[in-house]
Parts: sequence; C-alpha cells; structure tokens
Amino acid sequence: MPATHPVNSPVRWHLSVDPDGTGRVRFEGELDAQSTAAAWEALQTELAGIKAVRFEIDVRQLLCDSAGLSLLYYLSIGGMTPGANVTIIGLSAELQNLLRSFSAEDFQALQRHEPACSFFVDDFGKATSSFFCDLRQQVEFIGEVALGVMKSVFRPRLMRWKEVLRVFEVAGVNALPIVSLLTFLVGMVIAFESAQPLANLGAQVYVANLLGLVMSRELGPVMAAIMLAGRSGSAFAAELGTMKVNEELNALQTMGLSPVQFLVVQRVVAGILLTPVLTAYAMWAGVLGGIPVLLGLGFPLRMVLHQIQSSLHFGDLAEGLCKGIVFGGIVASVSCLRGIQTGEGPRAVGESTTRSVVSSIMLIILADVIFAAVTYTLRK
Amino acid sequence: MNGAAKSLVEVRDLTIGYGGHAVLEQLNFEVRRGEVFAILGASGSGKSTLLKHLIGLYQPIQGDVLISGASLVHSEGEERLRILRKFGVLYQSGALFGSLTTVENVRLPLDEFTELSSVAKDLIALSKLRLVGLESSATKLPADLSGGMQKRAAIARAIVMDPCLLFLDEPSAGLDPITSAGLDALIRELARGLGITFIMVTHELASIYAVADRVVMLDPKTRGIAAEGSPSWLRDHAPQSWVRQFLNREVT
Repeated sequence: MPATHPVNSPVRWHLSVDPDGTGRVRFEGELDAQSTAAAWEALQTELAGIKAVRFEIDVRQLLCDSAGLSLLYYLSIGGMTPGANVTIIGLSAELQNLLRSFSAEDFQALQRHEPACSFFVDDFGKATSSFFCDLRQQVEFIGEVALGVMKSVFRPRLMRWKEVLRVFEVAGVNALPIVSLLTFLVGMVIAFESAQPLANLGAQVYVANLLGLVMSRELGPVMAAIMLAGRSGSAFAAELGTMKVNEELNALQTMGLSPVQFLVVQRVVAGILLTPVLTAYAMWAGVLGGIPVLLGLGFPLRMVLHQIQSSLHFGDLAEGLCKGIVFGGIVASVSCLRGIQTGEGPRAVGESTTRSVVSSIMLIILADVIFAAVTYTLRK
Repeated sequence: MNGAAKSLVEVRDLTIGYGGHAVLEQLNFEVRRGEVFAILGASGSGKSTLLKHLIGLYQPIQGDVLISGASLVHSEGEERLRILRKFGVLYQSGALFGSLTTVENVRLPLDEFTELSSVAKDLIALSKLRLVGLESSATKLPADLSGGMQKRAAIARAIVMDPCLLFLDEPSAGLDPITSAGLDALIRELARGLGITFIMVTHELASIYAVADRVVMLDPKTRGIAAEGSPSWLRDHAPQSWVRQFLNREVT
C-alpha cells in the first residue's frame, strides 16, 4: 500500500511495496539535521512493519547534508530493513564520495568499545600504592624545603626577599579584612552560644573567660590557618600547577635551578612568618566580636576586659602563636607540593588546587589534635 | 552571478585593535566561495587579532564583517547564532576537550545543536573522523593523540555541522614538515571535495604555496593590507620589495 509522509516537513517520502516483494522509498525535498531527526524515527516505525526482500531508495529529488547521508547510509546497510538488499538510486557523484566516508565497521567498533571498568581490588591496591607514594614524596619534599631554608640562612642571597614580601602582602595583608570579619562573627557566635548554658549554671560572666581562651588557644590559629589554606594555599597550588603545565618548572631545572629553592622556599618562609601575625589578628578580632554580645547581656566593659585579662596567660597566647607558625608551614608547604605534583592538562590544575585545600585542612586538624594532646599533658 | 553572491565573506572598512588602540585600520577584502584564502604577515602584524574579529570573538573599533551577506558585527541573539553556525574554527592548539574521547569531541556540536538519534550522531562523527584519517583513534583521549592528530581531530569537529566556511589559526604551528604537508593535503581535499571555503592565518610559507588560492599580506607599518593576490604572483610581482623578500624567504 503506497503512503506519503510527512506533509509539514521539508522532506517527504513515498513508500510502496510491489507484489514481487520489492520495497520502494522515493524521497523529495531536503534532509538536513532537523528534518533527518524526525524522518529517522518515522521511517524506522514505518519500515519495521514491511516485509520486503529488496529495497530501492530513490534520492533523485533529494538534497541532503551529512545528517541526511547518515540516514541514507543506515538504510543502505539494512539498519531499518534487516535482511533486505538495499540499493540507492540517483545519488550525485559528490554525495557518493561523501557516503564512502561512512563505515559500518567503524560504527560497530565504537559500539563494541566499552569504557574500562576496574575491579575493587585493583582500585584498592592503586589507592594504597598512591598513598604511600604520596607520603614518600611529602617526606622528601619536607626535607628538600628544610634544606632550602637552611641554605638560605647561610647564603641569604639565595632567598628572594622581594618574593617573600610579595607573598606576605598577597596572602597576609590582603587577607586581613576577611580574617577580621569571619573571626569577629565567630567570636559573636561563641558568646551567644555559651551565654545560655553558663547562665543556667549562674556563671554567665565566664563567657568572657571562655571567649578569650577559645580564641587564643584554638579558634584564632585554626580559623587563620583555614582561611590561609582556602585563600592563599589554593592560589599557591594553582600558580605552581600552571607553571608546571607551561613547562616553566622544567625550564628552571634545565637552567640548573631547583624549583623548590626558587619558588617554594619563599612561600613557605612567608607562610611561617605571616600566619602568627594573622593568628594574633584573628584572636583580637574574635574577642572583639564577643564583647558587644557581653555588653548586651548587661556586663560593663571594664568587667569584661578584666575577665578576659585574668583568664589569659602568656602560655595561652604562646600556644596560639606556636600553632600559627606550624599551621602556616603546613599550609604553604602542602599547597606548594600539590602545585608541583600537578599532572598534564588544564584539569590537573583544578585537581591540585582542590587537593591542596583538602590536604591542608586535614593536616591542620591533625596537627591541632597533636597540639591539644601535648599541651594537655604539659599542663597536668 | 553578481559579486555579492560570489563572495562568502566581505570585510568592509574594518578597524581593529585593543582598548581603542588600532592594530589594523580600514581593511577591505572579500573571500570568494570555495577558495582557500590566507592572511599572511610577520609576527605581531595582527593576523590572529584579525582572525578573532572575523569570527566575532572581538568587536571591531569600526567597520563590518559580512558572512553570506549578513553582518556578524551588528547581529544579536538568534541571528548571530545562525551566522556563527555557518562556520567552524580550528584553533592553534586544536582546543579539543581533554575529558572527552576523540569521537565525543567530534559529536559534541551534534549533541548540542541537533535532535538526531545517537546512531546518526555516531555515524556522522565517525565519517568525519574517517575523512581526516582518524577512524582508528575514535575512542582515544586527546592526550593520547599526537599534535598533528589533534589538529585533524579538531578539523573533524569543525566540519561536523557541514559549515560552508572554516577558519584556521596557524594550522601548521608546531607540526613537523611531513605532518604539516599531510594537513595541507587534507585542507585541499576538503576544499575541493566538500566545497568548503577556508580562511587561514599563517606565516608558514610552504603551507601557503601548497594550499592558498589567494593571500593578503598585512603591513604592520601602515597597519593595513600591503598586497593581495595569488601566492606565486605576490612572490614574483608584488609592488613592495619587502613583500617579495618575505615570500622568497630573503633576509633584508
């Protein structure tokens, strides 16, 4: 039974089946990317219900681009009429040439290709190996940085102080507004959160003591270090990672310069020097954030300052500042290491930046736990 | 056939530059359908800047670029998108997406702009890869391809939507002479076989002699076009001696 479809499309086709089992499809119009998409589906449905041993595809009245050719090729290999012998009539020489670039073998090879799926044991082994490899690299890197710092102490001209000052400004001075704002708000939160439980115990005045201790021993250094990791550590990793991708690190090595001595030592020294300053600033801003809350609770300013002063000892401040030094060293060196470990391609820079922030925060918390255990033991 | 129908790209009184500072001024030239047109000039003469203006990445200081008679500079929205789909671009680095396989890179425009079935998209992408001789590398990642293969894969991606015009930015840059000659042969084949018009920016003289029908030579001193014509005519008969010396590789 002959049929013509569809009416509103730029392409139309006339489908008929002769009594001898020969199917004929006569195309008219234009098969472009839009019309091919619709025609493909409609033809597939129509041809599925037709049983023919031969098919003739008449394209004398048809214009088509690559999309149309893909449909003609799919028809020609019997994709919609399995088992039938398909011939295309009236294809111009240029289109015939283009049709030759289509290949069923290539298509089947692509369908056979499945992305490699790894086993759990493989993944576990690779992850373990990578962990130990990374650990070894970290130890080597720490040694190399320490050696670089020692060399710079004995031969100060090796230390590029301009670079240290630049990092100090970018990672330190420029970070002051965000550090002040966040620690100020954290100070307020601590004051609010501790006011009610201590009021139940009749010890609301000790909110000031708590605030002073928490900000100087714990949250000041940790907040400063986390902000350093997120703001400047990621920048270190991205900067060194981009240099690695651009082969600038290779250029340094071939000039006989150590990338660690030339790029990392300055950042680590700047990190170690600037973090205690940021920490002191964070401590001060945090305490300052709690004071308005205490004033709001009805405590006079003089009393609040007296409570803070009486609760804080030199040891508490020293502990906070020591943490700042250690955290600064960790953030700067881990970020630089992740930058230097950057692989190939632009995606690698993003990965190393993420790894630098995650590793830095993890190591900051780990070091903080060690500090807490040691200082607890010393205070006993 | 009138001039407008013959020329696919028309550059009219184009002045381009950065931040109001003109790099090239009052450029006028036409690119005819089906020809391989080369923009030639010494380093720093503004070739790549001109290309970026021709493909609509930058707005010119003044003037217009017409593609099939439609203004790329003054078009917006759907109209601009329609003009942009008429051409493909091969960037100097290939600009393949590193996270996608070669065939996925080539398929990407089909995935984004058509409603074709997955089978049709695979067939078209693979046919383009076969045209550039990369059918056996379809499932490889760009990182696993050589520089020349990456360029060819990028050409396959650029022609997958059947553009009538292809812009090439330094197609031979960073390739060895054999691979470069292979790429030139591919450009010739695509120009003759598919009727694609090519506009290429290059300073590779061997490529220009091998593929270009017509060349414009940019002059950094006058910030304009020094000479225009076929490569061999310019080499032997260009009015300026420095153009002849440039095309003959003579040290001035």
